[in-house]
Amino acid sequence: MISSELAFYAPATLAEALEQLAAAEYGATILAGGMSLVPTMNLGLARPETVISLNRIDELAYIEEDADTIRIGAMTRHRDLIGHPIVQAHCPSVAAAASVIGDVQIRNRGTIGGSVAHADPAGDYLPVLAAAGATAVVRSATSERRIGAREFVVDIMRTALEPGELLTELELPKLPADGGSAFVRLARVEGAFAIVNAAAVTSGGSATIAVGGATASPAVAEVAGDASLEEAGDAVYEATEDAFGDLSGSAEYRREMARVYARRALAEARDAAANGGGAQ
Amino acid sequence: MKLPISIAINGQTRSLEIDTRLTLVALVREELGLTGTHVGCTTGNCGACTVLLDGDTVKSCCVLAADVDGQEITTIEAFSTGASTLHPIQQAFADNQGLQCGFCTPGMVLSTHYLLGQNPSPTEADIRHGISGNLCRCTGYQMIVDSVLDAAQRARESAPSASGAAE
Repeated sequence: MISSELAFYAPATLAEALEQLAAAEYGATILAGGMSLVPTMNLGLARPETVISLNRIDELAYIEEDADTIRIGAMTRHRDLIGHPIVQAHCPSVAAAASVIGDVQIRNRGTIGGSVAHADPAGDYLPVLAAAGATAVVRSATSERRIGAREFVVDIMRTALEPGELLTELELPKLPADGGSAFVRLARVEGAFAIVNAAAVTSGGSATIAVGGATASPAVAEVAGDASLEEAGDAVYEATEDAFGDLSGSAEYRREMARVYARRALAEARDAAANGGGAQ
Repeated sequence: MKLPISIAINGQTRSLEIDTRLTLVALVREELGLTGTHVGCTTGNCGACTVLLDGDTVKSCCVLAADVDGQEITTIEAFSTGASTLHPIQQAFADNQGLQCGFCTPGMVLSTHYLLGQNPSPTEADIRHGISGNLCRCTGYQMIVDSVLDAAQRARESAPSASGAAE
């Protein structure tokens, strides 16, 4: 059993959750799917005194589209993103990332908002959002602001969220008709965290590649539309100068894999564009 | 902190007051006495604690009991009432020797049930993907995959044939 005393709240609305978050004297920990938080509580690594669960807030689970963007509520679970027609049609890399997170049970419970706000450097949505130029919508009891996905993660497991703020939505630009996207990852076995993961988006005369897992937040490189795969890989390699190493791989290994997976992501995104866009 | 919750456990409604520190698997095993659901890692890796929450498989060590108020939980105890009344999935595991020590088996049965609900005719690859959240340290998985293939076939044979009706 979790060892420290725990005040638990499960509000039914976002407004209530934001009020409770603002009122928590020593801060509160937000519980989304709990697939990272609860294990760390079980291990005694996280000892929150107050937990606010978002699992009863239906208004935070949605996938909607406007003319140019798609909007995903923070409590949308991974499995609901995988086959969703709007996601498949306009940002299929999100579905590709969702489909390889953890395993069936994890995808049934885990959420995109929880994964992004947890800001694990190997999180699978982070490079997808960075490559797409997505925006995080952040609310507090008194304010709302928008943070670019590339600015949202500020360090390993640290985000730009201020006390009292909650990630409520991710907004992604729709892939243009002539564009393509892809998501690829390197992991030892199915269900394991990625050693590196890479997303690419091609659009008009340029391509954007973002690689996670090697650095605290995704390394992003933009190259010309006709850049060679070698050039793209080299650009990502240069962008991963601050790579870290751990038991899964040294910093230099991760940089080399970042280069390889950047090339693969770009090649697949170009194939997708050539085959009529969309599909990753 | 104590919290009153009301749940449906294997079809039976229960209201109880729980400690907010309880995980769902602790609620199931220690408060409700249903020890068929196992605890392996408490970190969401092994899948021994798999249960159905409103019909979907979850790892019950990674869900707080306080968070399932008003929801339906189904555990392995709902699958059979005794050794002589095995559920067809359990029978398939027994017949194909899909277990050795049995520690992972409740979770494997729950994941098989969920997989077959989504995909009644899974390929071997579908099965390996579907049970990737359940670790077995004994069998090397092949006998488990055979068990799931067999369970799928039994389920198709006992179900009214939709394709037959259409012909």
